[in-house]
Amino acid sequence: MTDAIAVSGLVKTFGAKRALDGFDLTVRTGEVHGFLGPNGAGKSTTIRVLLGLLRPDAGDLQLLGGDPWRDAVALHRRLAYVPGEVTLWPNLSGGESIDVLGRLRGGLDPRRRDALIERFELDPRIKGRAYSKGNRQKVALVAALAADVELLLMDEPTSGLDPLMEAVFQQVVQEAAADGRTVLLSSHILAEVEALCRRVTIIRQGRAVQSGSLEELRSLTRTTVTAGLRDADDAEHTLAALAGVHHVQRDDGHLTVDVDTASLNDVLARLTAFGVQSLTAHPPTLEDLFLREYSDELATLGVPEGSR
Amino acid sequence: MTTVVDARGSQLSGTAGLVRVALRLDRWRTAIWAVAVAGLTQVSVSALTELYSSPESLAGRAQLISSPAATALAGPGYGLDDYTVGAMTANELGLWVMVPVAIMALLTVTRHLRAAEEDGRLELVRSAPVGRDAPVVAGLVAAAVATLAVGGLTFLALLSAGLDAVGSVALAGGIVMVGFVFAGISAVASQLTAHGRAASSLGMAALGVAFVLRAIGDVRGPESTSVLTWLSPFGWAQATRAYVDERFWPLAIGFVVSLGLVAVAFWLVGRRDLGTGLLAERVGPPRASTRLTGMLALTLRRQAGAILAWGIGIVAMGGFIGLLAGALVDFISNEPRLEQMFPTGAHGAAASAFSVYMVFLAVVAGAYCATAVSAARAEETAGRGALVLAGPVSRARWLGAQVAVAGVAAIVMMLATGLLMGVMAAISLDDDAWVGRMVGAAAVTLPAVGIVLGVAVVVMGVAPRAFGLVWAYVTYVGVLGMFARLLPEGADVLSPFTYTPQLPAEPMDWPPVLALVVVAVGLICAGLAAFRRRDVVG
Repeated sequence: MTDAIAVSGLVKTFGAKRALDGFDLTVRTGEVHGFLGPNGAGKSTTIRVLLGLLRPDAGDLQLLGGDPWRDAVALHRRLAYVPGEVTLWPNLSGGESIDVLGRLRGGLDPRRRDALIERFELDPRIKGRAYSKGNRQKVALVAALAADVELLLMDEPTSGLDPLMEAVFQQVVQEAAADGRTVLLSSHILAEVEALCRRVTIIRQGRAVQSGSLEELRSLTRTTVTAGLRDADDAEHTLAALAGVHHVQRDDGHLTVDVDTASLNDVLARLTAFGVQSLTAHPPTLEDLFLREYSDELATLGVPEGSR
Repeated sequence: MTTVVDARGSQLSGTAGLVRVALRLDRWRTAIWAVAVAGLTQVSVSALTELYSSPESLAGRAQLISSPAATALAGPGYGLDDYTVGAMTANELGLWVMVPVAIMALLTVTRHLRAAEEDGRLELVRSAPVGRDAPVVAGLVAAAVATLAVGGLTFLALLSAGLDAVGSVALAGGIVMVGFVFAGISAVASQLTAHGRAASSLGMAALGVAFVLRAIGDVRGPESTSVLTWLSPFGWAQATRAYVDERFWPLAIGFVVSLGLVAVAFWLVGRRDLGTGLLAERVGPPRASTRLTGMLALTLRRQAGAILAWGIGIVAMGGFIGLLAGALVDFISNEPRLEQMFPTGAHGAAASAFSVYMVFLAVVAGAYCATAVSAARAEETAGRGALVLAGPVSRARWLGAQVAVAGVAAIVMMLATGLLMGVMAAISLDDDAWVGRMVGAAAVTLPAVGIVLGVAVVVMGVAPRAFGLVWAYVTYVGVLGMFARLLPEGADVLSPFTYTPQLPAEPMDWPPVLALVVVAVGLICAGLAAFRRRDVVG
């Protein structure tokens, strides 16, 4: 199968600022791909280049097999977009906005539209100017999800949604994925990405710093092991001397260490010599992966290591 | 123990800081308004001084301006029996300085009061230890400072143009007073509706009513003898008899009324929630009617209010001018001395007056076109443009539909204006030929309107951040259209109306008209092409 999105070496500058600086991104057809990065890292710029709204300065781009800038109209028939900051026509009701956007792409399935409005608990009679931020977001979500398209480009689509609606959103995206649609989901809600995406790309200062499946990324980093030990003193000395063991912390009879994937077997084997009474091990969360990419920035921001 | 001692005082806490922010935000805008208004005033008064240097020409001007048609667009006509440049300035120019200052004051207040509340800025501000009334005070102070700046600089401009100080105080005082009254009106309107645009529209409607009341009042009773004149802030300002026999008490009416309006606004502020208006928000249909399909329909729906407002304004003004044709012709025919001034006779004089008014109305239609393109720019910056362009809608279709709606609306407006003007003229002069003549006169201005539209599209396509250039161009074309004869030769080279035959006073001349059509179409196409090549923001 071909890739839905293939970007390499993408550069986009705004004056002196290099918003994208050799960015690479591959989204396989049919996958839900998480796109992570803090504000200003270049997520929205990437999506706007993919939509042909911004013209790239350099790089190779393929979107659904076409050129996003040159073939914009043809490609847009096959994709839908949810911006992070939705503004609606002030004097059109939400329902009218959904229909207008749908008809510009040749019509919506009315049953799908109504079902989505119901699931997102949206009142479609309210005028655009009177909606809250979350409700404006819902209008854009309904308009995009009701469209019969292959690819959904979502730029922080759940900002402003409450936790209940967030759950509905996750369910709807899973259904879209089950229908074989491809989704690029930009977000900084890591739990959302962890729940929906098998593969993620982390962007930093306009470059992709990590990209791959969550398992791959996890295997590149450390597992946190906490053990209750009869002989914690000796264990602390032994483990601290091992390669691939980091952040050894001692709390009475409990020892917590971060272990590189390669050293995991070795550490577990040695622990048994110190009388294991309890053991927990958890793989790095997406949050750990993400924050690790930004550890130097957190340090400059004065966030202590223990609280990360 | 500390308690809230003075409820009113606590409602005002934080005012000083907000005032500083408001003034800082507005500093460039205010400076541009002041320099533009004062500069245009200075140039106009100097030109009048040069043009009307002899007592005969001043007397002739006084005769002409006392006709109903001219009175409706000028003033109550103080000092006509011994007309001076000062009296002429107050009578004929004053109103046209007051109207823009009133608009400036209106928009400043809604921008600070309603727009800030609408986009949530005010919520952030009010969560700080800032009282309920503080933002209102800040907005009003900003409007007052802007009005005083424009009034003060205009006063200096009047002095430098050689007018006397007492009269200049009266005229500039009237300008400031009008600004204050409309700031007060806008403050009240901002409490009634939840949206900045609706509040501005309410204020503009009030301005229209005030304008019409004064016009009808002055036509019915010269020298402010009609009660209608006294219902309008413009009437109070012109009742100072500036440069004739000054009196200052009419200004007090305006200042008292503006204080009253401000008091009403504060009273209303305490009676509504943040983010709401006193007029309830209506709901709309849950689904779009089948007619609301496509870019054209969407644009029409968005622009319907603006098209109606501009259209009714232009067409009504045209009809009004047409209706006064009979009065103008009678007036000139009855004055042998005036008849000598017009070699083409009374009907020729009417025709030449009509051709000047037609240019004025066409500039207004051009201003509408500029607002329509600036609305397209607002769609883009608000992000609604991206929402649509992310669908299968080409750049050319997105902008082209909006330009097409603006162009067709302008054509319909101008033809309807010509038709109504012609019908009214035909009735009042009892000559059916005027209908076709005026429709033709309106039609021949359309290529020039198209050029204004084309300039706006080019700026939108090439340098959308510099949209102020479009307004500068509209102002230039307007000033040239009105005062071309008073300005240095060659100043009019970039105005399309320089090349438009002035129907019905002049004969039709096809080549320049066709050339303007070609240039207008070329500009629009170039703008659309440039828009396809640039980044879309928002």
